[in-house]
Amino acid sequence: MAEDTILADDLLRQLMSVGEVDLLVGIFSRGDAITTGHAFHAIEQSFREHFTRQRAVIVNVGGKDNDEVDASESGLGGLAEKNMPLARSLRTVHRVTADFSTPPSPGLALRTVLTAADLLRARACAMVSPGTTDLTPERIASLLTPVLREKFDFVAPLYTRHKFQGLLARNLLYPMSRAIFCHGIRELYSDEWGFSGRLAAACLSQDVWHEESIQTRPEAWMAISAISSDFRCCQAFLGQKLQSGTGPGADIVQVFRHTVGNLLWCMESRKSTWLECKKLESVKTFGPEQEITSEPADLDRHRIFEMFRNGVAELEPILSSILDPETHAEIKEIVALEESAFEFKTDLWVRTLYDFAASYHHAVINRDHLVQALIPLYRGMTFSFLMEHFDSSPGEMEALSESLCVEFERQRPYLIDKWKAKTEVRS
Amino acid sequence: MRQTILQGLEQAYNNLVHMIADFLPRFLVMLIVIVLGLLVAFALKYFLRTILTLTKLDRVSAEAGASRVLRIAHLPSMTALLSRSIFWLTWFGFILVGLSVLGIASLQGQISRLFQFLPEVFVGILILILGLLTANFFSRAVLLAAVNAGHRSAKILSWSIRFLIWILTISMTLEELGVARQTVISAFSIIFGALMFGLAIAFGLGGQDLARRLLERYLGNTKETKDNEPQPL
Repeated sequence: MAEDTILADDLLRQLMSVGEVDLLVGIFSRGDAITTGHAFHAIEQSFREHFTRQRAVIVNVGGKDNDEVDASESGLGGLAEKNMPLARSLRTVHRVTADFSTPPSPGLALRTVLTAADLLRARACAMVSPGTTDLTPERIASLLTPVLREKFDFVAPLYTRHKFQGLLARNLLYPMSRAIFCHGIRELYSDEWGFSGRLAAACLSQDVWHEESIQTRPEAWMAISAISSDFRCCQAFLGQKLQSGTGPGADIVQVFRHTVGNLLWCMESRKSTWLECKKLESVKTFGPEQEITSEPADLDRHRIFEMFRNGVAELEPILSSILDPETHAEIKEIVALEESAFEFKTDLWVRTLYDFAASYHHAVINRDHLVQALIPLYRGMTFSFLMEHFDSSPGEMEALSESLCVEFERQRPYLIDKWKAKTEVRS
Repeated sequence: MRQTILQGLEQAYNNLVHMIADFLPRFLVMLIVIVLGLLVAFALKYFLRTILTLTKLDRVSAEAGASRVLRIAHLPSMTALLSRSIFWLTWFGFILVGLSVLGIASLQGQISRLFQFLPEVFVGILILILGLLTANFFSRAVLLAAVNAGHRSAKILSWSIRFLIWILTISMTLEELGVARQTVISAFSIIFGALMFGLAIAFGLGGQDLARRLLERYLGNTKETKDNEPQPL
């Protein structure tokens, strides 16, 4: 179990004093005592309201120690006291803090939580990031309940979104991961998710923790590990997604590195699994599938188109080394179109992404550069999407999203052919 | 008189026979050394090619963009280039060793000087290859960063980086080879200094507005650029 543990002595001592637990919630705090205090408050309230009989622990990774959090929590009108029985809870809720000299990466934070979960034999766990998610007691319960009561192993969140929010997830990450791994999880990249102790132990045993993709965004890898090893996955509707100005989401290059790069890395590391998968498996959803809102949005569509057009022209030598000549020729054709007549057809978009995936596998150029070279094309697709759906209803958008998923599945053999082909290096 | 002439001819004949008897074994040794060198060079070439193929150097070279430059320059792949270089270097070394066996006094000095120069040539080639790889990698990184940030002059920026690294590489190579060392250092300092000074003046005076906008963008509020696009996640 934890003989070769990464846990510091102090953390190990705290965990040993806790003993076995049923529930564990890991907080990846980013140094803000107020949001961490708010998270503690919400989690403890969730335990009081929804899990009165369960033994529970909160593991705060990389944040302030409990005294500092308590001090900030008192400003919020917090009710709980450290390691004291709560008003309606039959059990003590323990708080454990893992201090690091430097802020830990998300990968290290998750590994610490998984190790703690494994050590304490937790049955249901959740990982949350205050500051990037709007934590409420109900959200915590939504993540833990499917694991504790329905025996699921991985719980991905679902959100209410604006129709133009999360276009990378809608047009790339979700349909592509669904077609590749044969499981439709809409929010592979999120700051909150639930998992079982069994899955925690299985993930801990994998020798991947030094990988950069795991260090930056470990959640998708955890979901894909669950899918690949026949763990039971589901989705739970959590409500409105908090859009943070900070963290991944602020810089499109970073977002692409952390999500698209991560997905391509997962494809590479799990190729033996996904190449064999044939049939799309359904993923149970608790609550509505997805809610879309459509308030007016202030977007500079002309600038997005210009950045696409300029990017394709400037990156032509790089794109020619990544894309199939036919795909590249078609992209050059649509670049020449007028803004008003522009359309990035879904079959071309899917073929483009599959060319990128195959080129990533064959490492035709530096992989980080390859991921960055996709950004102008994503902008082209975004522009086309905005043009097409400016007045679309949520229902129409959902239907088109489904047709995109089907197109990804239809062209899967194309990807497999390109993936398996012995290519000469064209760069 | 006749006796003297005959003695002279005999002496000349003896000297010739002696010289040939002395030279032939050396010549044979030289030939053997050259043929042996050819075999060793071939063996090294194939050994190196196998190692480089196993370590997938061509893939690394392609990732760094060096393969593309080699193709533009009508050169073979990095593996072929290095294995051929090692072949010629090895064989050339054996040829020099073979020539030195002949014992021609005037050649000996030249050959020893060439041998002393070989490590510098090797280091020079290494610097050139590394420079080529570095220039391609960084110019592509700059190109991608500039394009994705929406800069209009992305190619100029990329080529500037490539050009600067090339200048630096060529200067370092020439300095390593000892070719006009002082001139190269002075020329590099003048070119590099002038370039930077020119850029600073051009940026500061000619592009005051651009400089202000760029500084505002990088040091100030970045909300404007973020709000232009929908949030990807």
